Amino acid sequence: MSILLDESIRAVVQGITGRVGRMQTKWMLEYGTELVGGVSPGKGGQWVEGLPVYDTVQEAVAGHHANASVIFVPAPFAKDAALEAIAAGLRLVVVISEFLPVRDSMEIKRRATAAGVRTIGPNCPGLLTPGVGKLGIMPASLFVCGCVGIVARSATLCYEVAGLLTESGFGQSTAMGIGGDLVTCTGFLEILRLFEADEQTDAVVLVGEIGGEEEEEAASFIRTMQKPVVAFIAGRSLPEGKRFGHAGAIVRRGWGTAEAKVAALSTAGAAIALTPSEIPSLLGQMV
Amino acid sequence: MILPEYLGKQVLDWHGIAIPRGSLVRTGADAQAVAGRLGGKVAIKAQIPIGGRGRAGGVAIASDQQEARRAADALIGSSLLGYMVDALLVEELVTTEREFYLAIMADTAAGYVDLIFSPQGGVNIEELTSARHENVHRIALEPSAPFDKAAALSCLEREAVDAELLGELVRVSVALHRAFTEMALILAEINPLALCADDRLVALDCKMEIDDNVLLKRPEFLALRDQLLGGREREAAEVGASYVPLEGDIGLIASGAGLGMATMDLMRLAGLEPANFLDTGGGITRHLIYWAVGLVLEPTEVKAGLMNLYGGINPMLEAARGIIEAIEDLKIKKPLVVKVLGNDQEEAWSLLERAGITVVKTGHTEAAVELLARMVGE
Repeated sequence: MSILLDESIRAVVQGITGRVGRMQTKWMLEYGTELVGGVSPGKGGQWVEGLPVYDTVQEAVAGHHANASVIFVPAPFAKDAALEAIAAGLRLVVVISEFLPVRDSMEIKRRATAAGVRTIGPNCPGLLTPGVGKLGIMPASLFVCGCVGIVARSATLCYEVAGLLTESGFGQSTAMGIGGDLVTCTGFLEILRLFEADEQTDAVVLVGEIGGEEEEEAASFIRTMQKPVVAFIAGRSLPEGKRFGHAGAIVRRGWGTAEAKVAALSTAGAAIALTPSEIPSLLGQMV
Repeated sequence: MILPEYLGKQVLDWHGIAIPRGSLVRTGADAQAVAGRLGGKVAIKAQIPIGGRGRAGGVAIASDQQEARRAADALIGSSLLGYMVDALLVEELVTTEREFYLAIMADTAAGYVDLIFSPQGGVNIEELTSARHENVHRIALEPSAPFDKAAALSCLEREAVDAELLGELVRVSVALHRAFTEMALILAEINPLALCADDRLVALDCKMEIDDNVLLKRPEFLALRDQLLGGREREAAEVGASYVPLEGDIGLIASGAGLGMATMDLMRLAGLEPANFLDTGGGITRHLIYWAVGLVLEPTEVKAGLMNLYGGINPMLEAARGIIEAIEDLKIKKPLVVKVLGNDQEEAWSLLERAGITVVKTGHTEAAVELLARMVGE
């Protein structure tokens, strides 16, 4: 089955005519993703990679029964693009774009919650369901179909973990990033809930890092889960008060340390991998 | 990023919130002069972008100019909580009758901006975040409504203060919120907000945290960004990379934040100390990699380097070319291990190996770290 990105998804690409949007559209199509059109205000009528481009999300939805969107629009315009997608009644909105102001991301999150539209990101690599498709930028060659779900804050760690799992014979049901910003429109907890309910998923790998409270919130749900969770938390060795790449990767005033996250997850019953390479053997023990 | 206190106070002052009289100084002599002007009894406060300086000895109290000079001389040039102290705020000491806590904060989990008030100043934010502290009142603000006097009043009217003081608190709250909005802050905190003998509310300490996604990217904030960032961090910001200087001697370049953090963890486990964190971001070009290799490997304190790259959105062939050009142009002889996977990987490996660079072709960062540890240990 997989979560969120399944066979029934028909997606549009917002920002399709930009350099990144165009290139990623090509790769998403090559992977077999069901993309039905693109949106780029003012560029309606053009074609990109064989997909029709529209001025608005609404037109693309009406013309092609789209139910999802992946957004590559640059930061200054990303909020408007996301709000437009949410207002168009889509089922799933994936915001790849980085550098959104916190206030913009908070507005997207509030609007998505009010409208009941599942919104992922911002600043995330998107989702990939092997054998179905990808909405985002994940390098497809690292993934293979299977029963382990991956959910990560970091894109590159998601790739590393996927590669290690594939190499060890643990294929993936769905792999996804929730984003590296201070604001995540959908957090670990909701994704774990989806994995727990998914027939195809037997176990989950959670990839966290310093900063924020996502992992601690996830722990409160992991406590109730039947399916095993293996967690890796990056940043154990890092000093407080400095931000490491991701807007959200910072320990502030003693809050958000890797130790606290590891403790919370461990108490909740997750197995903790000290290094990414340990993940497959921990899975082997638990599954 | 946290704004230095003196800058935050300038912002408060601009918005009509009273601050203690004081000046920014960079020498003991200037500290003495300012202390003289302020009547001798002053606080001398290290201006570093991290909290907890009080406990770490970053705040001194002086009762006359000479003491101020001695305290300033001791602080300037010292290292405090990982930062070099090169500036001090010398401020008059203010007699206070009551102290409050007031903040405007972005609650990024809930998606709302909160007003936080406590009639008990000096409360630690750790206690606040747990939201269990009885005397801390936290109210989510309605995003679609302007935060005017009426809105502020409805937040604060239940506080145990007399009408005149309530009026002042309302005025300060509105001003603080305006500063929060205009400066793209995620936190604007006054702790303590002190009631003085003359009935003024004075911001004795101020912590402002600005949204990095705005600070680093918006042209309107460019000057502020450059004022706040050190030379290498500024260069990094300009090319879209993230750089953090650290204390070790192994240079690091990663093509993602999480990958970089995990690599550092693994390095530490192997007994290697990173000299820096560097996340190239998703915009790798030959030029960016060339610059990164120079930045990270040239410093004399660096004895070796490790690169950990994934090419999804990033072009690995260009990265390889950038590495080779930098090594050759800058005549870098230090041991370097490059782990690289992704698009065009075979070609990239081949290019790097022909240039004499050690390449790791597996998806195990540990392998790269262990290899470098052996090379460095020899």
